[in-house]
This record gives sequence, structure tokens and C-alpha cells, in this order.
Amino acid sequence: MMAQMAEILLVEDSPDDVELTLHSLRQENLANQIAVARDGKEALDFLFRRGAHAQQGLAPGLKLVLLDLKLPKVDGLEVLRQMKNDERTKTIPVVILTSSREERDVVDSYKLGVNSYIQKPVDFEQFRETVKRAGLYWLLINQPPPQGAGTGTDAKP
Amino acid sequence: MAVFLITGTLISLLSEAMHRAWARAENAKKRAEAAERELEAANKLLEAQNQEVQRAREDLAHQVEELNATNQELESFTYSVSHDLRAPLRHISGFSKILSEEYGPRLDPAAQRYLERIQEGTRQMGLLVDDLLNLARIGRQEVRRQATGLNSLLEEVVADLKSETDGRQVEWKIGRLPFADCDPALMKQVLANLLSNTLKFTRPREKAVISVTSAANDGETVITVRDNGVGFSMNYADKLFGVFQRLHRPEDFEGTGVGLATVQRIIHKHGGRVWAEAELDKGAAFFFTLSPPNQKRVEARS
Repeated sequence: MMAQMAEILLVEDSPDDVELTLHSLRQENLANQIAVARDGKEALDFLFRRGAHAQQGLAPGLKLVLLDLKLPKVDGLEVLRQMKNDERTKTIPVVILTSSREERDVVDSYKLGVNSYIQKPVDFEQFRETVKRAGLYWLLINQPPPQGAGTGTDAKP
Repeated sequence: MAVFLITGTLISLLSEAMHRAWARAENAKKRAEAAERELEAANKLLEAQNQEVQRAREDLAHQVEELNATNQELESFTYSVSHDLRAPLRHISGFSKILSEEYGPRLDPAAQRYLERIQEGTRQMGLLVDDLLNLARIGRQEVRRQATGLNSLLEEVVADLKSETDGRQVEWKIGRLPFADCDPALMKQVLANLLSNTLKFTRPREKAVISVTSAANDGETVITVRDNGVGFSMNYADKLFGVFQRLHRPEDFEGTGVGLATVQRIIHKHGGRVWAEAELDKGAAFFFTLSPPNQKRVEARS
């Protein structure tokens, strides 16, 4: 499921949510360059090129991480914490996309430096609209940091 | 001779004085002993009482611990309801929607209708889960009281309800409401739930007339929300504020049956009372009490 030149990393354990998210992004032609990690450890391996991803270079074109909170092995908040604590990944925009509307999850996420927090709507039409908007905003409207300013392989650790 | 006499008198006086002194000393000693015994008894009693207090304190600490554990359990239950029930609901909603969008034209009308039913059921359950979570959250939320202008709160609520009044004739009769000592966010929810009910149940009326008034009564404020809607029979008045209790058929008036339970929980958390009066087909009135600002807060919290 890991695309080489991924622009979006979707971290989501539910296969149904993966499919619904991809289906939504596909309608905006945003699903071509998307990598999927099914748990927090896989996400960290992908981001920091460990484990199965050790041989590849860091993902230079990564523009967005869509991150679920409740994940097997390593939870979403821990993935967020490690990303925001590492020079190589701290500038990559992270959007929490979760079922949880617990206040403490929202507060904790922002304290760790999340760029946006979205609660997955139960209603699919709203969900689709939300995912599309988030994708379009972060990939097309948002101005990302210049290459090498923390996201690329040439970043100084 | 005289010397003897004087000496004899002196001696007898002296011995009398010594006698008295001795008797006094004896008395004092007895009193001291009695006092000591009393003190000892009192000490024993005090010690017993101290032990009792200590036991009660330990009991209380234990109960607080249990209560905290229960609260934590409740919180994690709420959390898992939030997360675990919403996810499968979204999947049902999502895949049935994709099915009807992408394969709908190939399905016969009955199958299309079933798909719509699935989606409607999912939507309803989503609302239920959200309302229940909201109710649970209010239960454990702290009431943050401050002097709150009810008129400005009400203006916000009426503005929020605009989408429900568009294209309808609605006459708002809003009286001069006082400031109240309450949590503005929670009180806004009370007003929003009550007013959205009035709009819902006046829908069959050509013109809805909704009034919000206040009256002072025995040092507390009574707020009245009244409408000219379909009302209800007072036979069911006791069920009104129960969770999931509905007095109307869903095809007539939509709802989850959680709104008035939420209203009641918020008013009770403020130390107030809430009740209703109505007549079938002749409108309904909801009343609740609030304490004015700067009243003894302890009273309201008990």
C-alpha cells in the first residue's frame, strides 16, 4: 500500500475507513499519491525509513499526514509527538482525523503541535466533504515549507 | 497563771486551725482525685471518639476512591461509545451511500428505497449517539457560574435557529429577562433545546407564537417558555424529562428523546427546578427556576 512518491500519508487502522477516505479523495483526484499505514509503528517506519522502509530515502514530497488517534501498537498521539520532535518531520502538516471528540484528545493534540483536528462525521456525505476539503486545502491551497527546510533527505538532523 | 492560760488558748486555737487545714487539704485531695477520674474518663471517651472519626474518615476516603473509580469507568465507557459506535455507523452510512450513487440506477425502485431506509436509520442512530454523549458529558462537567444576561443568550439562540424559522411565520415575544447566576454555555443549551422544541411542535400552525418571559418568585427567577403548538396530555407529563421518552410518533415529529432530559440535567446541576404544563392541541409551557447573581452559591449546589 506504500506509494513511492506519496504526497499524503493516511494512518488508519480500519480498512473500511481507508476505503471510504480513498473513495472520497479519488473524486478530487487526490488518491493517486497516497500511502497508507495501518498502525502507528508502520507510520513511524514509513516516516523515518525504518523496518520495511529502511532502504528507501525519506519521503521528500510528503505534504500531509492524515492521522487517526486510536491505532494498534503505537497510538496516534505518540506518532504525532515523534514527528513534531524530529527535525526531519516536524514541518510536515499533520491533520488528526478521528472519531474521538473528547476534549482531552483535542487539547493533547494541539499541545503536541498538530496542524488541524477533524472529527470524522458519522454521516458519510459530511465525511466525504470534510476529507475532500482537508485534502484540497493542504495540498493545493496551503503553502508548504520549502524543500529541505526540514522535510527532505538533505535536512540536517 | 495568765501565761498558762494564754498558752493553753493558743495551743487549742493552733490545733483547731491545723485541724481545719488538714480537713481542707483532705477535701482538696478528694476533689483532685475525682477530677482526675473524670478527666481520665473524658480522655477515654475522646479517644474512642477520635477512633470513630478516624474510621469515618477512612470510610469516606474509601468511598471517594470508589466514586473516582466509577467516574473513570464512566468516562472510558463514554469514550469507547464515542469512538467505537461511530465508526461502524459511518461505514454503514458510507457504503450504502456509495451503493446508491454508483449502483442505484441499476437497482429497482424497491431496492433503492431500502437503501434510503438504511441511510435514514444510520442518520438517526448517529444523532442518538451524539445526544447521549452530550448528556453524559454534561453529567460530569463542572458548572462554571457567572452572571449571565439571559436576553443576549436568547438572541444568540434565536439567531442559531434561523434555518428552522426560514419560510415560516414565527412571532417571538421575548420579555425583559434578568441576569442569572449560571453557566452560560449550559444555559444556552437549555434555551436552544426548549426553543427548538417550540419551533418543532408549532410546525402545524399557520403562525407560531413563542414567548419567553420571566417572573420573580420567592427570591428565585422563574423563566417560562410558551408556545401555541400541538401540546401534550398532562397524563404523560411525568415521562417528559426521561431519556428516550417521546410523546409523539417519529413520522409526525422527529427527535431522539434526549433534549428535555438534557434540559433537566442542566437545571438540576444549577440547583433549579423544571416542569411543564400543557393541554393537547393547545400549546405547551415549560418553566424553570434560576437563582439571581450573588446569591449564596452553597445553597444552589447542595
